[in-house]
Amino acid sequence: MGITVKNPGLFTTVQDEGRLGYQQFGVTPSGPMDAHAFHLANVLVGNPKAEGALEMTFQGPSLTFTEDNVIAVTGADMQPKLNGEPLLMYSAVSVRAGDELQFGFAVNGARGYLAFAGGLEIPLVMDSKSTLASKNMGGYQGRKLEAGDTIAFTAPKTKLSKQEDRVLSKPLYPTDEVVLRAVPGPQDFEFTREELRKFFWFSGKITNEFDRMGCRLEREVPVKHIGDGNIISDGIAMGSVQIPTNGQPIIMLADRQTVGGYTKIATVISVDLGKLAQARPGMRVRFVRVGIELAQDLYCKELSEIEALQKRWEE
Amino acid sequence: MQKGEQGVDIKVLITGDRGISVQVGEEISLEVNSRVLTLWKALQEHPVEGITEMLPTYAALMIHYRPEVIRFAELKERIEELAAGLTAENSSMEKIIKEVPICYEGELAPDLELCAELEHTTTAEVIRKHSAHDYYVFMLGFAPGHPYSARFEEPFSFKRRETARVKIPGRSVVVQQNLSDLIPFDQPCGWNIIGTTPLTICDYTKEDPFLVRAGEWVRYIPVNRAEYDRIQKQVEDGTYQVVVHRE
Repeated sequence: MGITVKNPGLFTTVQDEGRLGYQQFGVTPSGPMDAHAFHLANVLVGNPKAEGALEMTFQGPSLTFTEDNVIAVTGADMQPKLNGEPLLMYSAVSVRAGDELQFGFAVNGARGYLAFAGGLEIPLVMDSKSTLASKNMGGYQGRKLEAGDTIAFTAPKTKLSKQEDRVLSKPLYPTDEVVLRAVPGPQDFEFTREELRKFFWFSGKITNEFDRMGCRLEREVPVKHIGDGNIISDGIAMGSVQIPTNGQPIIMLADRQTVGGYTKIATVISVDLGKLAQARPGMRVRFVRVGIELAQDLYCKELSEIEALQKRWEE
Repeated sequence: MQKGEQGVDIKVLITGDRGISVQVGEEISLEVNSRVLTLWKALQEHPVEGITEMLPTYAALMIHYRPEVIRFAELKERIEELAAGLTAENSSMEKIIKEVPICYEGELAPDLELCAELEHTTTAEVIRKHSAHDYYVFMLGFAPGHPYSARFEEPFSFKRRETARVKIPGRSVVVQQNLSDLIPFDQPCGWNIIGTTPLTICDYTKEDPFLVRAGEWVRYIPVNRAEYDRIQKQVEDGTYQVVVHRE
C-alpha cells in the first residue's frame, strides 16, 4: 500500500508536471505552483523530476504510512514531524509502515512538496496525474485530499543509492516583499513607455485573491492602458501578468484559464515563479524588468543544476 | 506587422521565457482564423524541435517551447521563415461539420421565449435562425472542450442577459448575437439558454474526450423531447455515433 490521510491539511493535491498538450482543447495545464521545489523533492528521492507528488498549501496533512518507502519534503517549512520528531527537510528520509508524518502551519513560505520514491499510484487523466480541483479533474478523484483517503505507492524503495548524500540546503523565503523578474510582453505595446516604466517601478500588495488560478495585486498606482485594456482573446502563459480594465494586475498561475481577453503587460520569468508561490496575501510584489536572453539563461541553468544532482546521486 | 513576400503576415510576441504568441491578424474573422490554423497545421507537418504545445486562438497561435532546446531568437526566425512560405488562403483545408442535436422545448430551453421577445418575433423563427446555419469553431477555451463559435448569417440583435446566472447546467446551448456556445460543464453564464443538447461535450473518461475542435463546424439539428431522451440514452450506453460531414 502507501499512505492513509488522517488529516488532509488546508489544500493538499496530487500534482505532476501538468497536463501538457491539451490547452488547444481548453484544458488548463495545472502542475506545481513552485516547480523548482517540486522538482527537487522528486530528485531527492530518485524520481524523474516530473513524477506526481503532493502539493500542500499553508497547512500540510497528517499521514500514516502503510508501506516502507523513502520520502522528501521541500518548499514551505510546515514543521514536519515523523513520529513526533522533527523531520529534516530537503533530505531523503526512509520511513516504515506504521510511521506517522505530521505537518503544521507554514512558518516560512506557503506551499510545500512531499515526494515518494517510485511515485504514487494515481490514474492518468489526459496523460497527467495533476489535480484540477475546480473542474473535478485528475489527481485523487479530481479533488483535494480528505481524511481517510488512501493512495498506494507505485514502486516503493527501502533505501536509495547514496542516500546519506541526498541532502540540500533549505531556502529561506522573504516575508515582506517579493521581487519578481519579468519579461515585457506579449502586449506591452498596449501601454505607453511611461506606464511600462511605472509598472516596473511601483509595487503592489498581494490580495486575498491568491490561489492556484492566479494572484491578484492591489496597487496604489493602477496601470493605465492606451486603449480600454481588451484584446482579441489569446493564449496565456504561466506567470503572465494581465492588466484588466481597472488597472490592477493579475498574475496567471498553474490553474489559469487557457485563453483570455485582457492585455498582458509582462510575464514573470520561470525561475521566479516559485518565489511567488511561496508568498502570502499582504506581502508586496515588485516587478523587475529583464530581457528574454537572461530569463532563458537562468532557466537553463536551473535545469542543468537539477540534472547535475541527478547524475551525482545515480548508482 | 512582419511582411512576408506572398506568405502569411505574422508578429512574434514574447510571452515569457517559454512561450511566444504568433499574432496573425487583428480581427475576429474566418479569414484570419484560417491563417492561424494554416500556420498551426504547417508546424504540425514540419515540427520545430523544442516546441511542446500549440494553442490556436481567434487571431494568434500560442506556442510553448523548451528554451533548453531552442532559444527565442532561433525559434522566431524559424517561425517567420515558415510563415513566409505559406499561402494565406488554404482552400485545400477540409471542412468538417459535426451534427449536434438540440432540443428547444420546455425546461431544456428556459430562455427561448425571452429570445423571441427580444427579437420581436416567434419562437419558431428564433429556432429557424439558430439552426439554419453552420457555426464555425474559432477556438476552445474557458473550460475543457468549450467552443467559441459563431455563425455568419442572420445574427440575433440581443446580447448578454442583464445579470449573469451563477450556475447553468452542462450541455446547455447559449446564444447572443451571432455567437452560440456549447457548455460542457455546469458553470456561471451571462448568456441566454436557447436549448440543450443530449450529447456530452467533454468526457474525460473517453479516449477522445472532445466533441468539437478548433476549425470545425457545428450544425444544430432540432429534435423533440422524445428524440432527445432517446439520444441521451444512447450517449449514456456509449452507442451514439456523432454524425460527421466532410466537405
